[in-house]
Amino acid sequence: MLQTENTLFTIAVIGYFALTIMNFAFVILKKDALAKIALYLQAGIFLLHTAALILRGIGAGRWPMTNQYEFATSFAWALCLVSLVFIRKYRFPVLGAFSSPLILLMIGYAAMQNREVRDLMPSLRSSWLAFHVSTAIIGYGAFGVAFVLSLIFLFRGRMKEDSFWGRHIPQPEKLDMISYRSVCLGILFLTLTILTGAIWAEQAWGSYWSWDPKETWSLVTWIIYAIYLHQRLRKGWKGKAAAWFAVIGFVCVIFTYVGVNTFLPGIHSYA
Amino acid sequence: MPFAIALLVLLAAACALSSTVSQGQNYESYAAQYGERTAGLIMALRLDDAFHSWWFIGLSAFLCLNLLCCNLIRLPALLKQVRIFADPGKAKEIRATAEARGNGDPHRLFTALRMPRPREREGGALFAAGNRAGFWGAWTCHLGILLLILGFALGQMTAEQYTVYAMPGKTVPLDNTGLTVRIDDFRIDQTENGAVRQYTTTLTVSDPENRTDESGTACVNAPAKLYGYKFYQNSTGWGAGITVLKNGEELQADTLCPGEYIPVRDKPELVIYLQEVYPDYVQRTGMSPVSASDELNNPGYLYRVYYLGELLGMNVLMQGEELTIDEYTVLFDNPRHYTLLAVKRDRFTWLVLLGGLIMLTGLILAFWMHPRTVFAVREDNGWHVYGRCRKSGILFREEFLKAAAEAGFVPCGSDKEEGEDA
Ligand code: HEM
Repeated sequence: MLQTENTLFTIAVIGYFALTIMNFAFVILKKDALAKIALYLQAGIFLLHTAALILRGIGAGRWPMTNQYEFATSFAWALCLVSLVFIRKYRFPVLGAFSSPLILLMIGYAAMQNREVRDLMPSLRSSWLAFHVSTAIIGYGAFGVAFVLSLIFLFRGRMKEDSFWGRHIPQPEKLDMISYRSVCLGILFLTLTILTGAIWAEQAWGSYWSWDPKETWSLVTWIIYAIYLHQRLRKGWKGKAAAWFAVIGFVCVIFTYVGVNTFLPGIHSYA
Repeated sequence: MPFAIALLVLLAAACALSSTVSQGQNYESYAAQYGERTAGLIMALRLDDAFHSWWFIGLSAFLCLNLLCCNLIRLPALLKQVRIFADPGKAKEIRATAEARGNGDPHRLFTALRMPRPREREGGALFAAGNRAGFWGAWTCHLGILLLILGFALGQMTAEQYTVYAMPGKTVPLDNTGLTVRIDDFRIDQTENGAVRQYTTTLTVSDPENRTDESGTACVNAPAKLYGYKFYQNSTGWGAGITVLKNGEELQADTLCPGEYIPVRDKPELVIYLQEVYPDYVQRTGMSPVSASDELNNPGYLYRVYYLGELLGMNVLMQGEELTIDEYTVLFDNPRHYTLLAVKRDRFTWLVLLGGLIMLTGLILAFWMHPRTVFAVREDNGWHVYGRCRKSGILFREEFLKAAAEAGFVPCGSDKEEGEDA
């Protein structure tokens, strides 16, 4: 089972690489047909990647999101899922061109992690943990897509209206709205992550909030996105300023994910 | 709003800054880590316990005050807004987000916009309002945050917290609550690979005054709830039995966890203190001893002996070895795991959870329930249909115009429509 998972994972890594190349070809050659192929390719890899995660879960006999490798590959999976949904929903192929390098980076990070299946310590044997990490990866995926959309927003300002970019990227107002929608999805799931994490901590350690650096940084991230929300409500602050906040927010997400483990001490050392 | 944003920025910065300083240490350890000047600054700013410092609590209190005032002040306007939004007479005056004209079928338009039952007005006009609950999104979210912080603060101020640890079979007092805790059993389940699957303590809490007791099991992720206290399986370690003989006759026997001691019964000024139990003792020259594994291969007991509070000596006794002090003989045996339970009573956890759920509801209302109204008014040559949406203007506009075109209408109005009326 885990052997097959390994193979599927490797194919997915190659697939995301091919997807990134295909997307680059689309924006360099400016051929719309390539965007269509890229979308189908992304959907295909997504299915493979999903199968890999399911096999991992069956092979390990538990929810497959409990160590660095599993979390990283799930993060890439969620990025792929949320970007697929947004590309389809808003008919926006250029989003794929910007999001595929991010997915590739994430799956590359996963590939560098130890893939061994180890026994879980008792505190990690909890169904709240499954909720906690599942909501986290969806939230992170949505923030990743919002980050990409905000970069596109900032980038679009430099492009001429009638250029390839002008035609393929929605109007700024709509782009801002799409980005807002993905931040909303991210905030909802981040809030769920924090709440389920607190419930789990309460059951495991008797304290639902202990100001552990990972908790603190998830709160910082949450506040940054709350600032984003309020900025958008101010006249003249939509668009560029909000886009910058979505970028800063995602930097916080990444710091919460990898930076905290590397630079700050805490109890969340496993994910 | 700028003030709220400034507060949130400050709070995020305070949290970020505090997370870079490891909490709860003393001046000396900061000085060793960062140098004396920084350590002085850390102590002066109370960064050693930042989340309980006056400035952090002040900032949080200010945030709550702001949220409370904001919600109270906005309430009348919000109620009015919700009323007006649903009142076709008044709502008509507000600018449309999107409009179309022509001889189409308005009912098809309403259905496509997920408002299948429009109300009929005088002159045959049709009107529907949807997602009105969305007006309450931010308000509900702020209320939830307030309750959550309130519950957290009350919990911090009133929660009781203790630790009990003991070997199975022993009864210990639960601090000064008047209750006692007996550890009936402690089990460690392992997987085939030898990793720990679960730690389980069976315990009985008694109230000697009222002669009642309650039993339960506590394991990791599933605390026991007895007499209103929650017992969390927190940790374990090795303890041992101790026997004291006097002239070869047993004088007393007990069990000890590391850190516990017993005075000799007929000579209480002589105290035996158990410092550590090594299940698989390894001696290392020049270094403190260690246990090679958690298996009971070669048990060793590090003890100290005190007489009138003075340290007489310390050493390691191996299994079967005896320590002789005058007419007394001390031996340790039967090494076993003891259990350590964290005990907590927080009467406000429910408030935090309720606040969290209300906040979640608010977020869903704010993000996915964008209030919208749609009108269809009869004209000489067909209908004038128009709609407006609070917040998701441009997306609603696209949805409306697409649905209108499918229902047989032709878009009209300015292209430069701002699209929102928030
Ligand atoms: C100092 C504290 C705060 C104040 C004074 C404040 C004030 C406001 C105000 C006046 C609005 C506009 C309401 C409307 O348009 O209906 C708003 C919206 C909102 N606030 Fe706050 N807020 C604060 C903190 C927070 C925090 C910490 C959150 C957490 C996420 C939050 C979540 C929201 C949400 C979700 C909205 C609606 C935004 C949207 O629909 O895009 N607020 N806030």
